[in-house]
Formats: sequence, structure tokens, C-alpha cells
Amino acid sequence: MEPKTKYIEHELVVLLKEQSNDAFNYLYDHYSGALFTIINQIVPDKDTSGDVLQEVFVNIWKKINTYDSAKGRLFTWMLNIARNAAIDKIRSKGYRDNQRNQPIIGSESVGMEMSSNPVVNDVGLKKVLTTLNEEYRRLIDLSYFQGFTHEEIAKMLGIPLGTVKTRIRTAISQLRTMIR
Amino acid sequence: MNIKEYISSGVVESYVLGLLTAQERFEFEQYCEAYPELKAARNAFELVIEKQAMENAVPPPSYVKEKILAAIQQKAAPNPSKLIKMEPATTRRSPGFGWLAAASVLLFLVTGYFAYTFYNQNKELKSSNNELEAKISRTDSIMNKMLEDQRAINDPNVMVVNMVGTQKASPGSASIYWDSTSTNVYLVVKNMPKLATDKQYQLWAMIDGKPVDLGLFDQPQPNVILKMKNTQKADAFAITIESRGNTGGPNLEQLQSMGKAKL
Repeated sequence: MEPKTKYIEHELVVLLKEQSNDAFNYLYDHYSGALFTIINQIVPDKDTSGDVLQEVFVNIWKKINTYDSAKGRLFTWMLNIARNAAIDKIRSKGYRDNQRNQPIIGSESVGMEMSSNPVVNDVGLKKVLTTLNEEYRRLIDLSYFQGFTHEEIAKMLGIPLGTVKTRIRTAISQLRTMIR
Repeated sequence: MNIKEYISSGVVESYVLGLLTAQERFEFEQYCEAYPELKAARNAFELVIEKQAMENAVPPPSYVKEKILAAIQQKAAPNPSKLIKMEPATTRRSPGFGWLAAASVLLFLVTGYFAYTFYNQNKELKSSNNELEAKISRTDSIMNKMLEDQRAINDPNVMVVNMVGTQKASPGSASIYWDSTSTNVYLVVKNMPKLATDKQYQLWAMIDGKPVDLGLFDQPQPNVILKMKNTQKADAFAITIESRGNTGGPNLEQLQSMGKAKL
């Protein structure tokens, strides 16, 4: 049951801030797949990523009033909620205990994984990643998909912080031209 | 600052992808307000990312939506965190609790049944008790009357005056029991004829040759004791036939019986 099939983003935001169930239904039907893909790229286990998606939409519903359209599009805001929730999940003790055979943290394993074992869901951003050279790919993976700060990455890879920063920016600029 | 260099530095993409530090993010937002081209660049990359993500969308399992809708229904309630905690408690209720609930319902029904039964029994008992009480009070009053009669007849202070029928009412006879101390007057009719409905018998006391009314009565059942009006003095008693409810003097032509009091 969907009373409206298309909303202008501004209109949708206004309705969501009024806690409209119809608008929320539309939001979920329209964007859950895209957000689920992002979450899946960070949390490969489907059951767990389903849990994260649930958490993400509940948070969107709860925090919609903190969304400020001056700072970016609604999807960008939701995408970052999804990414942060997924990273929080893979960093949680419970998740790590379950995934002991697939270590996530540690420079050696990260490097190995990236080169020998192509990422689980080769779609979207991650698909584009495969076209980057290995060093950029690793930087994007660690920062974007695993949520490490530049300082953490610098420590992990033994590269100066400034270098990490510029290389990530360059890698991202390359990503952009590739996406286009 | 050179905005073109800033835009091409990768800061726009880093901002959109959430890779900037809080400080860098704040700066970027400030510049966006100042430089429309920066904002346009941001918006362009956002659309690219959004398009990319939408094209690669994978539908999540359907149970996720149900869980989300259930969760936000509870969020809408005034005390969301509390309600979420309450939910498992109601669904994962222990079997013992269900048994207890069933038992309490059963107890309630049984109690109700007994209460109803006892109420009805009590009602029946009350009404039969009332009947008995009424019967006893009727019996009591009859017995009291008999005792009083008995006393009157056997009292040594009571004078018995046997009335003698006059010629006009040949078999008519009655007895007067006159208690000189209490001044009570009782009349026992033995045999007196039936009267027309507009007529009544009337008892008179003759005091110093004058008749004093002692009360009207209908044809009585034989051997029933009638209590008449009291009198302190009486030379004789007389019974006449009068019109029903007579208030005047005696119609001595209709004198039925008479007896002299012997003091």
C-alpha cells in the first residue's frame, strides 16, 4: 500500500520530520536496497547486515530532526549513518568473536585480503575500487569500508600522516573520475 | 584561498563519503556557504554516489522491514526505551505465568459460581424463615388470646352472668364474663339466630335503670369469646337487635336476652 510513489526530497524530509508513516514506508522501499548494499560491503554476513539495516532505519526515524539539508542530500546523510553503523558492528566485540577466522584489523591481514581475496560484494564503490592501484585501493578500503582514521592508517601502514591524507584524497579524486 | 584547487583536492568526495575529521568537515561547511561552486561540486558528487548506490541496490530480506516498523511503532510511544525492554518480557512469558493466569481466571469463575449459589440459597432460607416467623406470630397471638380468655373465665374476680333468651328469640342464649377489677367485659354466645345484613346485635349494660352501650356485634360463631366495651358498673346486661352501626339508644322491643348482675 503506497499512497504516493514519488516524493520530492524536500517534501519527503518535511513529512519525515512530522513522523509520517507513509513517508517512512516510501523511504524504506526506495532506499533500503541501496543502503543494504553499502552495509553488506562492510558487514558481509547477511543476517548481521540485516540487523544493521534495521538499526539504521530506526535511527533515521529517530534522528530525522537532526538532518540539515544545507549540509548535504538526504541520501548522503543516510549513507553515512549506514556506514558508521556497519563499521561500529564489525568493530564490536561480539562480531569480532564470531569472525575469528576472518581477521579484520591488522595491517598484514588487510593487505593480504585486498590482494589475494577480492572483496565480497563487488558492486558500487567497491567495484570501482578494483580499478584503483593496490595502494589506493587499500587506503580507501581501510578508511571508507573499515572506518579507520588517517592516524590509525598511518600507524598501521607505517606511512607519515600527511602522506596518508594526500594519498587518500588523490585516490578519492581518481574514484570520482572513474565513477563518471 | 584558491577555491578551484580546494575543490579538486578531493575534499569534496572525502566530505560526502564521511572521511573528513570534524575540524575539516566544519571548514568545508563554512566554505560551502561562501562559495556556491563548492556547494555545486558537493551536490554533483552526492548525486553520483546516490545514483551509483541506487543502481547497485540489493533488496534486503523482507523480515527487516517488519522488524523496523514494529520498532518504530514502539518508538512513537512516550517512553520508547522502556517499551522496547518490555516487549520481550511479554512475548517470552514463562509457561508458569500462563498457568497462573489460567488458574486465577478459573478461581474467579468458581468463586463467582459459589457466591451466586449461596446468594440464592440464602434468599430461599430468608423467605421460608419469614413465613415461619409469620406463622409463629399468628399462633402466638391465637394462643395469647386463648390464654386471656382462659384467665378471664377462671379468674375468681370475674362474674359470670348467664343471659336468658326472651320470648321473641326462643333459643337465644349467651354468657357475660365481667371482671370487676379490670372492668373487662367478655361475651360468649352459645346460640343466637342469624340476622339480616342490615341488622346487628348490641350489648347493653343497665346502670341505675339506664342502658349504656357495650358494643355492637354480628352473629357470632358459637363458643367464641368476644371482648366488649369495659364498664365499671352494671346492674344487668341486655342484648337487643339494632340497625347496623346503631348509635342511638336501645330498641327494647327487640330485646333478645337479659341477665342480672349479682354483686
